[in-house]
Amino acid sequence: MKRQVPLALCFLFGIVMILTQFSPHSYSQGVYREVINWNLIINPFALILAVATLIQTHMTRIQRRTEHWQYSLVVFLGMAVMVLIGIPLGPQNSYVEWLYNNLQVPMDATMFSLLAFFIASAAYRAFRARTFEATLLLITALIVMMGNVPVGDLIWNSVLSWLPMEDGASKVRQWILDIPNLASRRGIILGVSLGVISQSIRIILGIERSYLGGGD
Amino acid sequence: MFEKLMNIDRRIIFVLVAVVVIIPTLIPIRLPTRVAEPTQKLYDYIDELPPGSTIIMAFDYGPSSLAEPEPMAKAVLQHCFNKDVRVIGITLYANMPTLADKLMQKIATENGAVYGEDYTFLGYRPGALQVILGMGTNIAGVFETDYHGTAIAEIPMMENITNYDQIDLLLDLAAGSSTEAWIIYANTRYNLKIAAGVTGVIIAQMYPYLQTNQLVGFMPGYLGATEYEKLLNAPGDGTIGLNTASFVHLLIIGLVALGNIAFFIQRRREE
Repeated sequence: MKRQVPLALCFLFGIVMILTQFSPHSYSQGVYREVINWNLIINPFALILAVATLIQTHMTRIQRRTEHWQYSLVVFLGMAVMVLIGIPLGPQNSYVEWLYNNLQVPMDATMFSLLAFFIASAAYRAFRARTFEATLLLITALIVMMGNVPVGDLIWNSVLSWLPMEDGASKVRQWILDIPNLASRRGIILGVSLGVISQSIRIILGIERSYLGGGD
Repeated sequence: MFEKLMNIDRRIIFVLVAVVVIIPTLIPIRLPTRVAEPTQKLYDYIDELPPGSTIIMAFDYGPSSLAEPEPMAKAVLQHCFNKDVRVIGITLYANMPTLADKLMQKIATENGAVYGEDYTFLGYRPGALQVILGMGTNIAGVFETDYHGTAIAEIPMMENITNYDQIDLLLDLAAGSSTEAWIIYANTRYNLKIAAGVTGVIIAQMYPYLQTNQLVGFMPGYLGATEYEKLLNAPGDGTIGLNTASFVHLLIIGLVALGNIAFFIQRRREE
């Protein structure tokens, strides 16, 4: 029963929702709207599950004193402060907004900003023209980077002024994005879409059961 | 010497990056930009909307990535308010409502727009796909109230808006995969016109949708924000950011070139 009921529900709702896509009948569309509403109700439970999993993971780390377990205490401290202030006072309360604007926003921005430093360092060390493919990637990346910023065209127009093409950096970048990039992206989109369709059929028919847990 | 150059201390690179970020930020330089087709298409679409039209602006980014989408949001909001195009703000990101609400209020105040009449902010609801699909049948079914707790029925500009049929455009300001979700679920199923403003890392993913007209236009990163500001003749944060990015790009290109020169000389010596 533990497995049959979820499998039957998955099959039923999968088939019904596919059929609603092919029928404009008011009854069919009514079912579609109703299921969407159910989904909206079910979704917040995912948030509860996420919080429960987070607490469980960090409790385990603290109990087992794994490496850097002290940071898990910081997680609980942050969570407790935001929950204890946020839930009774609401997200528009001045204290909650102060914590958000002065802690979360700068910390988030700082984490992301650090990427610029690491990318610069990693590009210097790893971006080497060792093979033909790496050289091709390197040249393309440099052209796109040059075309992404106005200074690229300035350099092109002054250094490569003998070429019969003005603003060449941005024009070549645009060609790379419009033609080779578009073609390869479309291939990826088609491949992923076919994969999603086949995986969905497997789930609806109960062939793929890993979402139930247990590994089969 | 080349061995040393190839294994340069990374702290030197960090200092160089800091210098090329700080100097252009403190001393802004106006570099000439040309407007590319994706941004021009978006600008033209909004510019041709009749007064009283309504667009949805989805703030689908977080505080970590706001440097690029925020200048885009400012420019488009300014354009909409000046054209009497009404804006409904929403977000699919739980950590974004406060920033989005404050941003809309700021730009509205600067342009004399009135809350509830020219713009509104509905806030966040969990479950991105269900929110996108649910709004297609009934917006009030997903957002019963706006971010400030006012019932949708009591907001004057929402009076005749039920679902996507009354929406002229959805602009997704994205730092992740939300634009593709809007295209797949809102455009394909409900024929909602979609446009985007995306961070640099996802620009390449947008081109197939632009070619098929599933996107009416899009702003690619800082460059897109700068181009939109140029079309509005109102340089702002995008222009400043792009100038800074220009020098960081140049530094990285220079470092990659230097690294490769050292690599080839070293390899030739070893041979």
